Amino acid sequence: MTQAEIKLCSLLLQEHFGEIVEKIGTHLIKTGSQPLRVIANDTGMSLDQVKKALCVLIQHNLVTYQLQKRGFVEYEASCSRVLRILRYPRYIYTAKTLYSDMGELIVEELLLNGKMTMSAVVRKVANRLTETMEDGKTMDYGEVSNTFVRLADTHFIQRCPMAPETTETSDAPPPPVPTLAVNEKDMYVVPNLNLIGKGKRRRSFDDEDDGEHKAKRQKQDADSKEPPPDDGIYWQANIDRFHQHFRDQAIVSAVANRMDQIFRSLPAGYNIVKQILDQYLTLLADDPLEFVGKSGDSGGGMYVINLHKALATLATATQESIVQERFGSRCARIFRLLLRKKHLEQKQVEDFAMIPAKEAKDMLYKMLSENFVSLQEIPKTPDHAPSRTFYLYTVNTLSSARMLLHWCYKSVANLIERRQYETKENKRLLEKSQRVEAILASMQATGAEEVQLQEIEEMITAPERQQLENLKRNVNKIDASENQVDETIFVLESYIESTVKKL
Amino acid sequence: MSGSGKGRGRAAFTFNIEAIGFAKGETLPEVAFKPPPLFPPTDFKPVPLKMGEEEDYMLALKQEFRASMKKMPYFMQKEDENQGIEKYSKKYLQMRKESMEWTPDWRRLPREMKPRKKTKKGGKTKKGKVATPKSNVDVLKKIEELEKKGDEEKSDEEKEKEKDKEGEEEEEEAGNEQEEYDEEEHEEENDYIASYFEDGDDFGAGSDDNMDEATY
Repeated sequence: MTQAEIKLCSLLLQEHFGEIVEKIGTHLIKTGSQPLRVIANDTGMSLDQVKKALCVLIQHNLVTYQLQKRGFVEYEASCSRVLRILRYPRYIYTAKTLYSDMGELIVEELLLNGKMTMSAVVRKVANRLTETMEDGKTMDYGEVSNTFVRLADTHFIQRCPMAPETTETSDAPPPPVPTLAVNEKDMYVVPNLNLIGKGKRRRSFDDEDDGEHKAKRQKQDADSKEPPPDDGIYWQANIDRFHQHFRDQAIVSAVANRMDQIFRSLPAGYNIVKQILDQYLTLLADDPLEFVGKSGDSGGGMYVINLHKALATLATATQESIVQERFGSRCARIFRLLLRKKHLEQKQVEDFAMIPAKEAKDMLYKMLSENFVSLQEIPKTPDHAPSRTFYLYTVNTLSSARMLLHWCYKSVANLIERRQYETKENKRLLEKSQRVEAILASMQATGAEEVQLQEIEEMITAPERQQLENLKRNVNKIDASENQVDETIFVLESYIESTVKKL
Repeated sequence: MSGSGKGRGRAAFTFNIEAIGFAKGETLPEVAFKPPPLFPPTDFKPVPLKMGEEEDYMLALKQEFRASMKKMPYFMQKEDENQGIEKYSKKYLQMRKESMEWTPDWRRLPREMKPRKKTKKGGKTKKGKVATPKSNVDVLKKIEELEKKGDEEKSDEEKEKEKDKEGEEEEEEAGNEQEEYDEEEHEEENDYIASYFEDGDDFGAGSDDNMDEATY
């Protein structure tokens, strides 16, 4: 774990779970797996706080536990899973585009709570949707269940590993650690629930007539007497599936940009005549991008998508664009030249790029100092004398991808820190504006006059308003930047991952 | 043997310097003696952010998610000791939050995670009782004796307060240190350290020897 990753993880944990969980999570990420008491000792926190924090982290799938041979339990945090928190808005948005508001809320609830039973999810989502509907209308559980089932069918949500059934008559003491087993076949099987019901609106606390009803309803809702029929079956969002979807989207849009004209003229439905389809496929296969390859002629022609090549191309394109934005288009020209020709001597670079020698040297050294290009030594003589050695410039995409990924993590950490600083600086003003809004809302509810409302509004002076607007604009900008850096992170991570896994 | 360079005592590179582009004898650029500046000036400004409906929606999602997380029972805030100004509203906010306490599914967690209430309670009361006399036995006695005349109610109140505090803390499962700290805090309502003066002494009466210190 690099320092940048640890720093970013700690900021994300702090923003979403508070300082106590942050301390313990960061400690685990830095030190690897540790048992409970060691964590308490090293972080200096009380055992209870550590226990609570670990429960929260385990609930959100950020920490796992393992029974060691000597009989104690060790807890391990997953740094990469914590970094995914940055991508949560993208997951929720994807669910919205694919399954509309219901899908969006289901995925959002699952991400907010880590893992939940289906009945709990359906109930909460129905309640939330009912809140937004007109008075008198309620959301039926059935519709929400349907969307849930569809999400499970397309593997966007999956079952968590199950705890073993506890038999009442077991003589042996319960084991210190439940062994959670994953049944591959059941991972996307939805339990057969007969969920009948409608969403309920949350009444305001001021309603005194409904005081009794509220108490009764709470008892019913809490299900304290009987466990729900799908007790013990928890669901979580399937992050890998979302990543697959993003990757496919990226490749499709890359190819679409390439074949812009052809794609525009494609008919809307899939009723393409075979001949035209053949032509398109051949075009795609012959394209120098090598995304699509022809692997045989059976069935009229077997076409395959070369995922690794596709990801590599995307990552390289990202790098080129970064070089261009950072150093200028001439540097970008040199960079692209090196990518194509792999290894070049200094003189050759000047010739091929058609850039004057001094400038070329300057740019090459700038890029070298930032590690975008590297030098490859080829000695002519066994004693490696510098005057008799070839020095070739080359671009190592994998290592520069790793370096850029590291930069990205650092950038996001810096962005978050800056955003927190801005918010802290204006904390007093923010609180004041919140109070004023609360007063305004309560006054409007009780029917105040226009004059009184205006008086309250004037409690915030004009320069303060300006300051608030500036703050809001800055915070929004920083948040949006974080989201967009995460897109780059995704491309680079996918590329690096594809090179590591050798199947 | 080989490679003696231009002459003794003169700096020479082991390779032909023309290869990198400096003419012979030309002054080389300076060596930097300090780290590069923290915010170096950039020639190229960053590209503006992507704008659009999608980006705006994701931004809103992100901010809402963050706000929701802060309200969830999973968010554990560090207890601030200096509340300062905002005490009144915090009381109501916390009341609402505690109504949403969350208990995890104990079947999925290792046994050691579950707080053991029964043994803890016994242990706590024992420790509590033992601790109070040990550290505060003198002080308590002094409080009783000193305040017997006028403030009998006050001392009773304080004892009750201590007991209440103990009861509350058993449920909250706070550490021992916190318990002792709070008890000490609630011993007296003034700022004076009770053990400063021996009982039976009046302030200043014992020090009136032949010294004129009282005038200070």
